[in-house]
Amino acid sequence: MSTRLLIGAVGSLLLWAAAPLAGQQAAPKPLERLPDGQPNVQGVWGPVNAGSLSLTNPVPQAADFDPTIKPLPSRIVDPPDGKVPYQPWAAALQKEQNHYYAYPMRPEHIDPQHRCLVSGVPRLFTIMPSLRIVQSRGLIVFLWDTYQAYRVIPLDTRPHVAADVKLYMGDGRGRWEGNTLVIDTRSVKGQRLTYIGDFYSDNATIVERLTWTDANTFTYDATITDPTVFTRPWTMRLVQRRRPNEEMWEGACYEGNLDPEQFLLKSAPPPPTR
Amino acid sequence: MRMKLAAFLIPVTLFVFLYPSAPRLLAAQGSPPAIPRTSDGKPDLSGVWQALTTASWDIQDHAAQKGVPGGPGIVVGNEIPYQPSALERKRQNFAQRAALDPVAKCYLPGIPRLMYMPFPLQIVQTPNEIVMLFEFVHAVRFVFLTGAHPPGPIDWWMGDSRARWEGDTLVVDVVHFNDQTWFDAAGNFHSEAMHLVERYTMLGPDHIQYDVRVEDPKVFARPWDMSVVLYRRKERNAQLYDYECYAFDYEKYYPYPQMRSPQ
Repeated sequence: MSTRLLIGAVGSLLLWAAAPLAGQQAAPKPLERLPDGQPNVQGVWGPVNAGSLSLTNPVPQAADFDPTIKPLPSRIVDPPDGKVPYQPWAAALQKEQNHYYAYPMRPEHIDPQHRCLVSGVPRLFTIMPSLRIVQSRGLIVFLWDTYQAYRVIPLDTRPHVAADVKLYMGDGRGRWEGNTLVIDTRSVKGQRLTYIGDFYSDNATIVERLTWTDANTFTYDATITDPTVFTRPWTMRLVQRRRPNEEMWEGACYEGNLDPEQFLLKSAPPPPTR
Repeated sequence: MRMKLAAFLIPVTLFVFLYPSAPRLLAAQGSPPAIPRTSDGKPDLSGVWQALTTASWDIQDHAAQKGVPGGPGIVVGNEIPYQPSALERKRQNFAQRAALDPVAKCYLPGIPRLMYMPFPLQIVQTPNEIVMLFEFVHAVRFVFLTGAHPPGPIDWWMGDSRARWEGDTLVVDVVHFNDQTWFDAAGNFHSEAMHLVERYTMLGPDHIQYDVRVEDPKVFARPWDMSVVLYRRKERNAQLYDYECYAFDYEKYYPYPQMRSPQ
């Protein structure tokens, strides 16, 4: 649990740091256009309330450290109850993964992120480290220096790769609808979404809508459909804000990473949860 | 008739022999092939590219071995000017290459090896930075057209790349390496003092001449050069997939069996 507490503390610090930004009421700047007609959204971005600890209780424990912080609402905007609509077997698996998260006893209990496996979509849009957007003729690229991950989205109607091909970042196709980038992603590999064991399967498809409300802010919506795991499609939302346009430097992860099985795996069962 | 033919042939023959670049000019019918350009007029290197070479197994001329395709190397002149002690280490690396090759451990292959591995790479060009995305272990390389190298020492797998345009050639200066990467699977190596100067020149719309000068005073007696061509992947469905080298051993754990897609 100490890891989660630490992350909660860091999260509250970030919230505190973000507060003055939220207070600024500069007039929205309209979006420039690139030579190929795309809105220019290049630069460095990060979630206002960052972290993949939980979708339903983002940045938990922040209020424990800073009483001025109100609990954040669930990132899930549909269904209205703010919960992931798991099928019963999947709800049980999520609970099991959460139970063993900080006390893994088998290799599959270890969060793939600890092994430097690429976390995929939408988890990478929720993490604290920045993402960079680069645009070129007919495509938009998302890059994360943490995990050295990238995602190339062609902005045309070329066919998707075969459905049985599974890719860590999925196979996305995008289109601009005004200032909204709509990305249709297929061929994902099953991924964890949070520290508390939320997940989708290889059969998920994802439609994301990135809506720029001004030159420095966009709303990120991801609608996940997965008939293997969920009872219905559901949608999560968060707000991303522009960060300083710093150079992105190397983020080698696997190289030099200690094997999590060597130092995380426990031989005895975890103590009963509170 | 014969006189007329001779009157035509003699000047043409003289022209071809006396004017060194005449054969090329004639072959190209007087105009160099057009290359794609960005809106700011620079050659546009954007696209999916791949080298067609066996150099990632051995950058020097080499015969085939089991699992290793033979082929010509990419070292200009084929000789690598190792200092004597470094040559001995190269021989040891070669003898233990199956265990020591950083790529066999799924580590970042670094630059220049990633440029000529048998996996595609995608270049995304903007005026201030050129991003290179590699299918192999989802490696990312930023080539900055602004700013200077940050002060070192920094030990990066991919180095720090700063570029400028010299006419239509992109010249990239790369420093700040670690000593962990190899040039190939044959044990050719360098130290953290390596300094690269890369030159990217489009030969036409679908080919990039990639020349790189290697300097490393701790390992080599003098600078040496490699030269290879990057070919545009022209297939209609060309795109990067992923080769998550170190992930294959873990995939049995994720996703759980019940999450597998029906085959």
